[in-house]
Amino acid sequence: MKVLVAVKRVVDYNVKVRAKADGSDVDLNNVKMAINPFCEIAVEEAVRLKEAGVASEVVVVSVGEKSCQEQIRTALALGADRGIQVETEGAVEPLVVAKLLKGVVEKEQPQLVILGKQSIDGDNNQTGQMLGALANMAQGTFASEVKVDGDAVSVTREVDGGLQTVKLKLPAIVTTDLRLNEPRYASLPNIMKAKKKQLDVFSPADLGVEVKSHLTQLRVEPPAERQAGIKVASVDELVDKLKNEAKVI
Amino acid sequence: MDFTFSEDQLLFRDSVRDFLVNEVTPERIRGIWESDSGRDDGLWQQLAEMGLTGITVAEEHGGLGMNELDFVLLAQECGYVALPEPLVNTALVAVPVISQLGGEVAAQWLPQIAAGETRVAVGCRENGLAEDAAQSGLLLWAEPEALYLLTPEQFSARFNESVDPSRRLYAVDIADGVAPVASGEQAAALYRAVLDRGALGAAAQALGLAQRMIDISVQYTGERQQFGKVIGSFQAVKHHMANVAVRLEYAKAPVTRAAYALAHAEPAEVAVSHAKLVACEAANLAAKNSIQVHGAMGYTWEVDLHIFMKKAWAMAGTFGDTGFHKQRVAEFIFADSVALGAGTTFG
Repeated sequence: MKVLVAVKRVVDYNVKVRAKADGSDVDLNNVKMAINPFCEIAVEEAVRLKEAGVASEVVVVSVGEKSCQEQIRTALALGADRGIQVETEGAVEPLVVAKLLKGVVEKEQPQLVILGKQSIDGDNNQTGQMLGALANMAQGTFASEVKVDGDAVSVTREVDGGLQTVKLKLPAIVTTDLRLNEPRYASLPNIMKAKKKQLDVFSPADLGVEVKSHLTQLRVEPPAERQAGIKVASVDELVDKLKNEAKVI
Repeated sequence: MDFTFSEDQLLFRDSVRDFLVNEVTPERIRGIWESDSGRDDGLWQQLAEMGLTGITVAEEHGGLGMNELDFVLLAQECGYVALPEPLVNTALVAVPVISQLGGEVAAQWLPQIAAGETRVAVGCRENGLAEDAAQSGLLLWAEPEALYLLTPEQFSARFNESVDPSRRLYAVDIADGVAPVASGEQAAALYRAVLDRGALGAAAQALGLAQRMIDISVQYTGERQQFGKVIGSFQAVKHHMANVAVRLEYAKAPVTRAAYALAHAEPAEVAVSHAKLVACEAANLAAKNSIQVHGAMGYTWEVDLHIFMKKAWAMAGTFGDTGFHKQRVAEFIFADSVALGAGTTFG
């Protein structure tokens, strides 16, 4: 079984992001970039499936500028077999990414596609679902457990009311939640091996997709600073303030 | 000439930094201090899985075959987290010395070290004590006249307290009748190699420690408020850390130079002594000024700063103290044969 994993290059989760002075975008100058944490969980799950003998090949794909090859190499160091970069310029919105991934799915014919549920930069939580619709594949989103059984996959989903398990017929799409697994570190020998693994580059035209934007980013600004709280002397005072000042009860 | 580190060297550094910062937290170090053995076998296994225990082991023995220049950046990262495990001594001292011994000795021990199956401790007469002697499967003990590779039944070890609780130091008594693996001129050369390599490792760790103390202090002074402002905005506080940053920056090149000399089998004694002196000075200044900007609270057990400060003090005294290395630099400069001046800088 071939598994396709999509990864995105994002600002490292430890970095405190800042808006550019002119408010046009997030300032990415000299900022550490990394694999989106949810995508890293997706890679780990695919590699575990391979180690368990369920998957035969793990192909990792990323959409972006040449710099995203760094994240593909990291995924290869984590255990993926082969990489694909779909080379684009500038910001690409989720619908375009989903269309490009559909092109890769048609080329590679994977049985299982694993994506992070969302990226920590845009927080859109859209690409996996859009890909499911475009490729007409079953989808199990927000997965906290994945079990492949024959030609089906059981996905336990983290939903508001608790856990929900769905059984999908392969080929299918899974998007990962935080508790699915704990990704490993890339060892130094595997980092060296990753440099020799195959990495193919496609253009959107190769996949028959036209990159066009339907969204315009108007302004980026930091959230308002949180004001300091106050201490109240009694429950009565608290209730009074909630009722008359905050007007929440 | 390009003096910058290669893309691969920086990639390794970043990967090791991510791993160490996440896994070797101050909380874990405090846990290690409180454990019976003073060591965390799980951590050593993790280091082995990362490929770090075999990083300087030749590929034919299951390692990565990297050299001192590749490792010096990683040693700085070990310092940054105050790694209690003796990885730097293993990779920078024990493995190259055992490799030089070659033959059956190398074939027996290097694969085990690379796989993380055998911990190796390093001690020498200059230090007097051997770190981790009682926790290791092999002790490399160096004297100017003889070099020993000792298994646990070939020596006895008495615990000595260190200023740094992460270091488990032992006085070593070699059992009667144990033969050295090298003697005479070979032992003398290996003794110098142990000293130089150990001093380079201490210098590299001192750089990492200094950087960590700067980072901790900058974070603290960016949060602690006085007179309605964060104290880091006051010039008198800022200058404390700026002075350390300058000292640290100027210490980096000598450490890299010393690693280059060892990696290319050049005479390294003076370069190593220079590196050890300036790196440990930077770390000592970082410790001193960090205590100041923490308002003396930095000296307390509760604040993580002391983990790094004590390690920095320990590094200053290991593999030759300040006096030892100043003496070596002085002997070099005052020798009749010394070639000094701009024309000999790269000679």
